[in-house]
Amino acid sequence: MRPAFDSARRARPLLGTFVEISARGAPRADLDAAIDRAFEAVAEVHRLMSAHDSRSDVGRLNLEAATHLVRVHPWTYEVLRAACELHDATAGIFDVALGSPGPRSALQARSDVELVSGHRVRFRHAAVRIDLGGIAKGFAVDRALACLQASGVPRGMVNAGGDLAVFGEDVTVVRIRDPRNPGCELCRIEVRNAALASSGGRFDPFESSEAMDSAIIDPETRGPARRIRGATVRAPSCMIADALTKLVMLTGEAAAALLPQYGASALFVSADGDLRATRDGSAGVHGWLTRGSRRARALPRPAARGRAAGRRSARCPRVGRARGQGRPSRRCRPR
Amino acid sequence: MPRSITTDWVRWTVPTAIVMSIAPAAYATRYLTVEEAQRLAFPAATRFVEAHVIFRASDVTAIERLSEQKVRTRGQQVWRAQADGRLLGFFVIDYVIGKHLLIDYSVALEPDGRVKGVEVLEYRESYGSEITSHSWLRQFVGKTGRDQITIDKDIRNISGATLSSQHVTEGVKRILAVYETCLR
Repeated sequence: MRPAFDSARRARPLLGTFVEISARGAPRADLDAAIDRAFEAVAEVHRLMSAHDSRSDVGRLNLEAATHLVRVHPWTYEVLRAACELHDATAGIFDVALGSPGPRSALQARSDVELVSGHRVRFRHAAVRIDLGGIAKGFAVDRALACLQASGVPRGMVNAGGDLAVFGEDVTVVRIRDPRNPGCELCRIEVRNAALASSGGRFDPFESSEAMDSAIIDPETRGPARRIRGATVRAPSCMIADALTKLVMLTGEAAAALLPQYGASALFVSADGDLRATRDGSAGVHGWLTRGSRRARALPRPAARGRAAGRRSARCPRVGRARGQGRPSRRCRPR
Repeated sequence: MPRSITTDWVRWTVPTAIVMSIAPAAYATRYLTVEEAQRLAFPAATRFVEAHVIFRASDVTAIERLSEQKVRTRGQQVWRAQADGRLLGFFVIDYVIGKHLLIDYSVALEPDGRVKGVEVLEYRESYGSEITSHSWLRQFVGKTGRDQITIDKDIRNISGATLSSQHVTEGVKRILAVYETCLR
């Protein structure tokens, strides 16, 4: 008898979004058991790091860590350590702490969060509160993926509201929404044994087809990040990809200096509508993009031609042309 | 030479008209059929007996008061999961609907009403205003459905969706009120 290798794909509401887990290459019952364990890991991260639950690690830290040392779960400690490292590497641009005192023009030289051995944590000021929203989701994805792998599943994907990671020999094609028009597709990115995270304006098909302001706070203006409309980062781990999207959203081109040391690549759409990708970040990116010359920066956007011009429409019409998109379009291949 | 290859940004232009003409108007992902979700929630069950829950006016008032949610349906699809005549729990199908979104999900309840699990059955997104049109909706509501309406086979990642997931959470609250009012 031929062994039955199935595939399974499931989704649950967790981490304030929908978490989708898929697995392939084992009998269905094994896949479902592995997916159950992976969801359980995500639920555990949710319980530990929810900022809205006063009994979570983050809730307890926000209540007590300003006055004394608080012991946290090793996972929470691991996320905080990564956050502190990123804080130092980005000169304070990536910061999980809110309510730090002092003028904002000078970014915090050191993190407001102090880590002590034995998984203990304290805050350096009374006013400090933390929110791991910019990094914990990526960590949850990594944990869930590790669960699938530990269960012996050969191929799988975990996607928490757009922050995702894949493993196995398959190439996964991810469609990136246009941050200016979230009902439309900007491009497609191939991912294999890697993580991909995206940031942009808050967007929810429940409410509207428009994207709202970003949830990322610019430490200089203390308002929502507006310079970059949307950013996508590919990295070996989803926690790093998740955190680095915030850096790209806040600093744009300047983020390039830091990406290589994390093995990351990125693309972003700036407020003026340009799309930029790091040179290796454009590998495996497909879509109806044309590479502009550096000189073209000063020129107006190319006029719509031919069929495309005839089909200009307020909403996104048919899928017909998207279908044959198995191969990269010649026009989007960088030379 | 320690020259970094990624400090260089490649610039792409996105011709607006072209971007608009490529994107799909709707898509759907079927995660689980009702039968699959039932088996996952209650692997030991030998029978799923449909309980026809039809709301009376007093039920609607009670559910709305308990859950602080509006009741938009005249009843609820509920099954009793049984093994050898013993009640293992309840399996409930519900949906939430937004401007461009329709999500079918299931809630499994223990016999005492505790939530055992929530799974998304199907997720549909649309940007052609179909979602609020009745004829478009009718093709899905109440179906156990085998007909896939998926547009194509690429992975489309659900993203954003903070409010949508919140509405599922609120929906679960309403299901718990249905339990208190009609199933207990």
